[in-house]
Amino acid sequence: MKFQIEDVTVYFPYEHIYPEQHAYMVDLKRALDARGHALLEMPTGTGKTAALLSLILSYSLSHPSSSLKFLYCTRTVHEMEKTLAELRLLFSHLPPSSPLLALGLSSRKNLCVNPAALSASSRDSVDSACRRLTASWVRSAAAENPSIPTCEFFESFDRAAADNPVLLPPGVYTLQDLRAFGREKGWCPYFLARQMIRYANVVVYSYQYLLDPKVASIISKEMQRECVVVFDEAHNIDNVCIEALSVSVRKQTLDGASRNLNRIAQEIDRFKATDAGRLRAEYNRLVEGLAQRGNLALTDAWLANPALPDNILKEAVPGNIRRAEHFLAVLRRLVQYLKGRLQAENVETEGPVAFVASVNSQAGIDQKMLRFCYDRLHSLILTLEITDTDEFLHIQTVCDFATLVGTYTRGFSIIIEPFDERMPHVPDPILQLSCHDASLAIKPVFDRFQSVVITSGTLSPIDLYPRLLNFNPVISRSFTMSLTRDCICPMVLTRGSDQLPVSTKFDMRSDPGVVRNYGRLLLEMVAAVPDGVVCFFVSYSYMDGIVNSWNEMGILQDVMQHKLVFIETQDVVETTLALDNYRKACDCGRGAVFFSVARGKVAEGIDFDRHYGRLVIMFGVPFQYTLSRILLARLEYLRETFQIKEGDFLTFDALRQAAQCVGRVIRSKADYGMMIFADKRYSRHDKRSKLPGWILSHLHDAHLNLSTDMALHIAREFLRRMAQPYDKTGSGGKKTLLSQEDLARMAEDAMDMY
Amino acid sequence: MAVINMAARYKTTVKEPGIPGVLKMTEDKVIFSPHDPRSAMKLNVDFRIIKGHKFSKDGSKQALLNLTKDPEKGGGYIFEFDNFSDRNVCRDFVGKVLGRFQAGVLSKQQDQPVLEKAAGSGHAEQLSVTEMERRMKLLREDRIYSMMILIKHQSSGQGSKVLCLQMSGQQLMTNKVTFSLTPEIIHQIFAEKPAVHRAFLNLVPTKMTEKDFWTKYCRAEYLHRTKNSVAAAAEAAEDEELAVFLMHDDILANEARNKIRRVDPTLDMEADVGDDYIHLPDHGILRDGSKEIVDTENEIAKRTLSQDINRHAAVVLEGRALDVELGDTRTVAEALARSKQESSAEISDENGNLERQIRVSRMTEIEDLQDPINFPYAPLLIKDPRQYFDSQQPNALKALGDSGAGVKPVDFSLSTEEAYIYLMRQISEVKARGLKSPVVQPEAALRVLNGLNQHLSSTRYHLGKNPQESVLGRLPNWTKDELLHHWTSIQELLRHFWSSYPITTAYLYNKVQRLKDAMAQIYQKLQDIKESVPSDFRHQVSLLVQPMLQALDAAFGHYDNEQQKKSGKSGNKANGFVQ
Repeated sequence: MKFQIEDVTVYFPYEHIYPEQHAYMVDLKRALDARGHALLEMPTGTGKTAALLSLILSYSLSHPSSSLKFLYCTRTVHEMEKTLAELRLLFSHLPPSSPLLALGLSSRKNLCVNPAALSASSRDSVDSACRRLTASWVRSAAAENPSIPTCEFFESFDRAAADNPVLLPPGVYTLQDLRAFGREKGWCPYFLARQMIRYANVVVYSYQYLLDPKVASIISKEMQRECVVVFDEAHNIDNVCIEALSVSVRKQTLDGASRNLNRIAQEIDRFKATDAGRLRAEYNRLVEGLAQRGNLALTDAWLANPALPDNILKEAVPGNIRRAEHFLAVLRRLVQYLKGRLQAENVETEGPVAFVASVNSQAGIDQKMLRFCYDRLHSLILTLEITDTDEFLHIQTVCDFATLVGTYTRGFSIIIEPFDERMPHVPDPILQLSCHDASLAIKPVFDRFQSVVITSGTLSPIDLYPRLLNFNPVISRSFTMSLTRDCICPMVLTRGSDQLPVSTKFDMRSDPGVVRNYGRLLLEMVAAVPDGVVCFFVSYSYMDGIVNSWNEMGILQDVMQHKLVFIETQDVVETTLALDNYRKACDCGRGAVFFSVARGKVAEGIDFDRHYGRLVIMFGVPFQYTLSRILLARLEYLRETFQIKEGDFLTFDALRQAAQCVGRVIRSKADYGMMIFADKRYSRHDKRSKLPGWILSHLHDAHLNLSTDMALHIAREFLRRMAQPYDKTGSGGKKTLLSQEDLARMAEDAMDMY
Repeated sequence: MAVINMAARYKTTVKEPGIPGVLKMTEDKVIFSPHDPRSAMKLNVDFRIIKGHKFSKDGSKQALLNLTKDPEKGGGYIFEFDNFSDRNVCRDFVGKVLGRFQAGVLSKQQDQPVLEKAAGSGHAEQLSVTEMERRMKLLREDRIYSMMILIKHQSSGQGSKVLCLQMSGQQLMTNKVTFSLTPEIIHQIFAEKPAVHRAFLNLVPTKMTEKDFWTKYCRAEYLHRTKNSVAAAAEAAEDEELAVFLMHDDILANEARNKIRRVDPTLDMEADVGDDYIHLPDHGILRDGSKEIVDTENEIAKRTLSQDINRHAAVVLEGRALDVELGDTRTVAEALARSKQESSAEISDENGNLERQIRVSRMTEIEDLQDPINFPYAPLLIKDPRQYFDSQQPNALKALGDSGAGVKPVDFSLSTEEAYIYLMRQISEVKARGLKSPVVQPEAALRVLNGLNQHLSSTRYHLGKNPQESVLGRLPNWTKDELLHHWTSIQELLRHFWSSYPITTAYLYNKVQRLKDAMAQIYQKLQDIKESVPSDFRHQVSLLVQPMLQALDAAFGHYDNEQQKKSGKSGNKANGFVQ
């Protein structure tokens, strides 16, 4: 359908539209007009992504002069695929004369088609295998000596790109499409995608490509200001931000770094003997400053400096690390110093300033030298023509650490732990530089792009996010869901079948009574609910424990009488296959249960919509591990800087995870699902009130304090009610489905009012 | 281990006080000598006649041990002990001895090939005794473990259990670990653990007997279950066959790698690992409690319960395609290997991609915003029989294969020019060859000409009409009506017929009887029609009637089958079945 929002003609890929989608578009459009940032919460299952994509693309179509580019950030590759599928649907409804290009971008591992490089297993080895074939010096050597292997895909891409930089015809390209296209043409899909993001109208990629400065500076540096950046499913964005700037150093890292340094020393000696001019040239270049880096070959570019502001890039590298051997000595001293620190017997916590001061006094490395470590190392490795970069990860980690610690004076802390809190008998020293301030990583994004849209199904309380991320949205709004019928049914279950309270509180979680009650709950529910049931547990260890107990109690066998059981494990391959099988089991009518972990990979981005999830059971409240030093340090920072109380933050964090888990069951208003919060703590007002509004509005008072039998009764009633036919457009005065005519009428009414 | 002497009171029923004395048990005899030498209650029983043992619960009123002669009747030799620890010593001894006897007895009674291997269980006991010392050294526990494997022959119907549940619990009370392997379970093991399957095919019977194989397997399983990774590593180092069971399953890993390529991209979390730059070693927040680091350095794979459960569910989902009688383990193993080869061969990647893409796009659509999708379907309600017949006719003919050549569209369009050229060529050929030796015999030519004429006239007849009109239009009116009438009634009858299966009530039974009779009548009528139509149409009509007859035949076949089955087990009728 096609309709007007003020001056923009919006193309929407469906025949009808929900009123909240329309409202969402109106607000989004105003934010784009104002060239400001927006924070929008809209319940899951209301077609947020479709609304967002269609508005922004329509907006850029109606402002052809502004050359608006659209960066859509998802957290995972499979979400990227979902988004691209929606885009494909939308593209088929756009006017045919709009030559738009949309593509997904991922790492070499997901895009490479060269069998030689692809045979490597991990991402880093694929990266370095690629580099071995495509680095500029390898290619120039191969030009003289044809026996040196190069990548034919890259070569033919390079030739084609030289003739015509715009290589992809308009359309939507998923990773699979890019690979297929690359295979067909014989072009390297990875570099093709990298090249094409300059010309693409829509780029879909992972958060890291914008937030992680190491990646952002190569992938995203060419994005101009006229970009709309969208962070979808952004309820965890603060965690992603702090992760992007956190580094930890272990004993293995330092040992590896020492080995790396020895190898570098050999290389330097070799070059001194054969090609001393090269090292001298590097020295001269560094004297002039780092700005030179701009004209590197496409294939040599590499994860760039983690955190340097632009002005520093123009500064010259400090004199005492310009020479390779001097820099090497500095790194050796640094590694030595860190080794000494790791031998601490007690937990130590200190700020970056104190740490830098101590490095300076004990190892003689000042802040500025630390700050340039990353770039200096990068330059050195390029000069030494080292291609097997995956061997040098350890020294890179150390340099990342040094640069971060030398750059930021606040918002970080350095924590040295001699052993893991939970396994005190196993010595495993670790030195962690942990970031506490999410705004540091995202600041460049807010500064650089004209509109940043942060959106998710759960952003409650919505006023907290601007504080955590330190930005001023022009629009910050939470939408409610207009429902044709009560298609979601949240319940709080506080007691088991024997009327005793259930909880995952620390003192109760291993109580066999609680375990049995949880098991009985699941058993009753799988017998009553059709198709798919999803269970979320608070952690992997808790899940393993409870699954073992259920197995011993025989509960698991009884569950299997009704449904097949699939479990998320820490192995992603296994989990992916389990998910795939789970869907098959739901499709074929066998029915299945999926056990998963809140904060796990499945909870982050897999939808359990329609028959894939008719019921979610959240066993317990997914609090973070509160004894973790990092968390404690972060809480302290939040209290001092933003005046956020520890308890409040922990509850907020746990409840957003819980809401996120249960929110995965609804995809549209025709869909339906139940949600059981199985913990007595959910009945407390301070916990419950932190749930997003769209869940709270359906949480009746009668459903707040249930036992297993009552919940079962409610579930049966609910399922029976959902099986009745209903009017999709909404009955009574309120319409929940708008057609094109309805929208036209609404626009007229609005005109009349003026 | 050989002899046990214990103070006990012997009694014949539970309630009487009993006679105090000494109970002496050797490996083949139970001897009771009362303290009072005058008492007549002396006992000297061979262990072979004892079939079972019962005992009171720890902590109950009396510490009883009942050696039963006949498990069904009850009764036997009851001994009361002063305390439970004495009783438990005796009980465990009895349990062990009985276990050995039973295994031995089983093998003597029957001499089927599989069970002959079970005869080795005495040997297994010996083996486990020698193993015991080593294990005791490893376990540093004083308990005596014995391993007993029974290859049972009755199917226990535990198909939907997870494999690791099959170990009937580590009975600490009897200090005995019993693994029971039924053919069902063996099949399940083969399906869920390809490495074991492969090992079986390689090793049995060339390198070891089936009995030894399962003993090894059970030991590995036992080590795994007790989470004794040190012992497992030690044993695996000594015994390479055992190691097979404990190591990571490489076939599974390969399969997973293949499957992951065909997985729905919106589920593919493996792709994230390649995209997530945070996963660079030591980047991101490591020790905040949310991530649990697993130690994968140990060579012995840490197979977790979760993995077993996932694997089990996956196998259930794949379904069992074996048509081999579960019995001989070797044939089962080979059949499974064959079915696996077939399934791996038929997968093609190209179709998979397209299918996935369609699937994903269907998944992304929001259903209620879309106009309802109208799937093509034929309404069950038959308002206009003629229309229904026409809509079904192509399907029926298609099912027959392409034998319905008469209905094939013939290209009659031949431009004048082409016809002329063709004729000219014919004439020139005749000219060249002369008419002396005609190409075709005159009689044959006449026959062909006649045939052609007839065909032409009939085609002209149906050419003039609506091209969609089927062969029905050319039939005489009464035949047509009759056919349509039968067609609808057959459809209706069949619908009722099939919907009444399975027959659970007497009403349904009678209904099926009536339906069958009605259909038999129609069957006869159809035959009559086929014979009565004029010869021009006979072929066409038989083509039309054929699918109806086939449908009826299928129904009759089903009916007969059911009838046979029922009469076969008429001895024990199912619940609620009334004839």
